[in-house]
Formats: sequence, structure tokens, C-alpha cells
Amino acid sequence: MFHIVLSRILWFITLLALQVFVFNHVHIFGYAVPMPYVYFLAILPAITPHWAYVLLGFVMGLMLDLFTNTPGMAAGSLTFVGLITPWVLKLFRPRDTDDEDFEPSHHTMEWGGFMRFLGTLTLVHCILFFVLECFNFFDPYGLLLNMGGSALLTLLFEVAMELIRKK
Amino acid sequence: MHNLLDFLRKYAYFFLFLLLESLSLLLLFRFNHYQGSVAFSAANAAVARVETGYAEALAYLQLQGVNRQLTEENLRLQMQTNRLREALMTATRDTCITQRLMMERLADYELIAARVVQNSQGYRDNYIVIDRGTTDGVQPEMGVVGGGGVVGIVYLTGPHYSLVIPVTNRKSSISCRVRGQNYFGYLQWDGRSMTRATVDDIPRYARVKPGEVVETSGYSAVFPPGIFVGRVRTVSNSADGQSYKLDVVLGTHFANLRDVMVVKTPYKAEIDTLQAQLRRADRPQ
Repeated sequence: MFHIVLSRILWFITLLALQVFVFNHVHIFGYAVPMPYVYFLAILPAITPHWAYVLLGFVMGLMLDLFTNTPGMAAGSLTFVGLITPWVLKLFRPRDTDDEDFEPSHHTMEWGGFMRFLGTLTLVHCILFFVLECFNFFDPYGLLLNMGGSALLTLLFEVAMELIRKK
Repeated sequence: MHNLLDFLRKYAYFFLFLLLESLSLLLLFRFNHYQGSVAFSAANAAVARVETGYAEALAYLQLQGVNRQLTEENLRLQMQTNRLREALMTATRDTCITQRLMMERLADYELIAARVVQNSQGYRDNYIVIDRGTTDGVQPEMGVVGGGGVVGIVYLTGPHYSLVIPVTNRKSSISCRVRGQNYFGYLQWDGRSMTRATVDDIPRYARVKPGEVVETSGYSAVFPPGIFVGRVRTVSNSADGQSYKLDVVLGTHFANLRDVMVVKTPYKAEIDTLQAQLRRADRPQ
């Protein structure tokens, strides 16, 4: 248990630092920005209480906002992602695994289920983030391109992280 | 109570979400100029809509008063329209040459504009009531003229109204003469027609032809001399055969008489005083 908490704290700090120092400077064609910090919420163990998901999402978003000077955008979208994560997890986790120490990963959920789970969270987060950032619909195609490109790029980095995660 | 606590515990995450999400949006709107302004204008629009609805409801409640006001306004405007229409009719009639000549003659006299408020016609003895009285300076025995010429003489006065004996009354007797000749007689009405009267006592040696103008002589001091009365229609013998009787077509249309003027003769008082002195002198001591 302690091991898991420590590992998640490390993931938290790592993802935050990576996002602040690396990923925020990536703008592919001015549209796609990787935001793989959603991964942190996705890999929380299933026994995490629902309120902790919400709170952790908010804290993560708030930290990012502080560092990237986008007050409220990441916090707002990530709080909502924290709210829906347990529900989405319940939707995609295998039926026969309702034990206490279930942890979402490509080992426990198979690649297909895990990708759908991760993809849903990422897409929701990207949509919310860019809606909050743009806050208008004058350029719907640009907005869609922003959302789709960022979601794809984010998913790419998340898969890479999933591959290098030990367990 | 227990159920309520259970409910709160079960959905604590959702209340937490609401709290944190509101906090995020607060940050978003507070510290981002663009999002803040969009939210502010949206809130403004919503407030404006509510205010509009409120104002409309209020206006609906005030409709009764507005309605009454409109009715009053309507009435006032109708009265004004009436007044203006009458003024317009008078204005278009003013170009009549008779009236212009008469106004030239009356230029030195003080005139009191009045309006006919009652006008009996077709009776044996007609009367006219005008809406000016002693408070306006009207006194008995003042002359009254209209757009077409002589109308009559003030008989009785009240504070605000006066009774006028028009030419079309058998008591009426106005000193007249034929224009260009100084033979004068008295204009009388025989009660036959509202448009005609007769002038008696024209000497037989006067040369009067139909169509000549009959005007006031100025001898009675009621009217200034030269005010148009009418035109000679026929010349006939008077009843006693000693003089001519002129049948005169009156210039004033008594049937539709409306605006008249009372002539204040400045010399009348003087003439009256002289006559009174004469009577006192003639009276046996």
C-alpha cells in the first residue's frame, strides 16, 4: 500500500514536471499539444475513493495552471475527468475482476479495454480543455483540430508511458 | 436524518466536484481576461433579459393608466384639430375682398373678436349670442361686423356673453347710404328672407341703380361710415309713394355666421354726451 502511494506521488511529480518543462513547449502545427497528465488519474488503483479522484484531479490541474499561467482551464477540465474516471473505469474493466486491489493497466484490462478507457478520458479532457480555452465557437474546425490532434498526441505519449511502466 | 447523512456521505464526491469545479471556473473567469469578459457579457445579457421581462410586466400593469392618458390626449388632440380646422376655414375665407376693405376702414377702431355661439334663424325676430361680454369690453349699442359686412348691434350684455340684434330682426334699424351718394335711409327687415332687407326713405330724386353698394352712413355713431351692408337688387316705390324703397341683398350670410367682431367706437360716448346735453337744454325749466 505504501509502495503504491509513493509510486503515485512520484508519478504525480514526474508528470507535472514533464508537462511544465517539456510537453507545454510542444505545439505540432500550432494545434496538437500533448497533455499526458491525464494518465495519472487513469492509473490510480480502483479502491481510491471517488472524492479522492475529484480532489486529485483538481490539485493536479491547479498545479499545472499555476505553472503554465492558464488559471482554471486545466483545473476545471481535470476535475470533471476526475469525476467521470471511476464510472468510465467501471464501464471498461473486465467483469470478473472486482477484487479490491485492481489497478488499471494493459496487464489487467488487456490493451483494447485499457486503450478505450484511456482514450475516453483523454478525449473528454481535451474537449473540455479547449472549450474552456477558446470559449467561443467562431472557428469550429480549428477547435476540432485542436481537440483531435491533442487527444491523439496525448494518447501516443500515454501509451509510451504505459510501456515503460514496470507494473 | 440518518438517510440524509447517508445520502450526503454517498454523494460527497459529487458535492466536492461541484465545489472544485466552481472554484476552477471562478479562477477561469477571474484571471483570464477573455473568458472573464465573455462570462461578464453573458451575465449582462441574462440580466438584461430579466430586466426586459420585468419592465414589460410593469408596463403591462401600467396599461390602464396609459390608456386613460391616451384617451385624454386623444380628446385634447381632437379638440385642437377642430379648432385648427375652423381657424383654417377662417383663414381661407379671409381673402374675401369685402372683408379686406372693411378691415381697412376699421383699422383705426378697436375691434373685439367674438364667436357666434347661438344663432336663431327663420324666426320673426332673430337674435345672435356671441361669446364676449362686459369683461371683454363689450357694451350695449356697439356695432357688430362679420366677414361679409354689417351683422347687427349689441343689445344686452352679460359678463361673458352678449345678445346681438342682427339686421334680420324687425327691431333693427341701421343708418345706411348708397355708396357715392349721400342720400341715406334706414335698413329695415321685413321678415321675408334671411338674405334680403330694405332701405326706406331714399328721396325720389336720387339716382339709384340695381347693383350699387349700400354701406353704413356713420351718422348713428354705432358703425363707422363706409362698412359694406349689401347691394341694391331692385328699386321700387315706398308704401306712401313719397320715396324709393331699395331691396338690398345682404352681404352677411346669417345662416352660417360664426366669427364676428364688435366695433368699439371711441366717439360714441362723446356723441351720446352731446345728445344728452341737448335734451337737458330742450327740457322746459
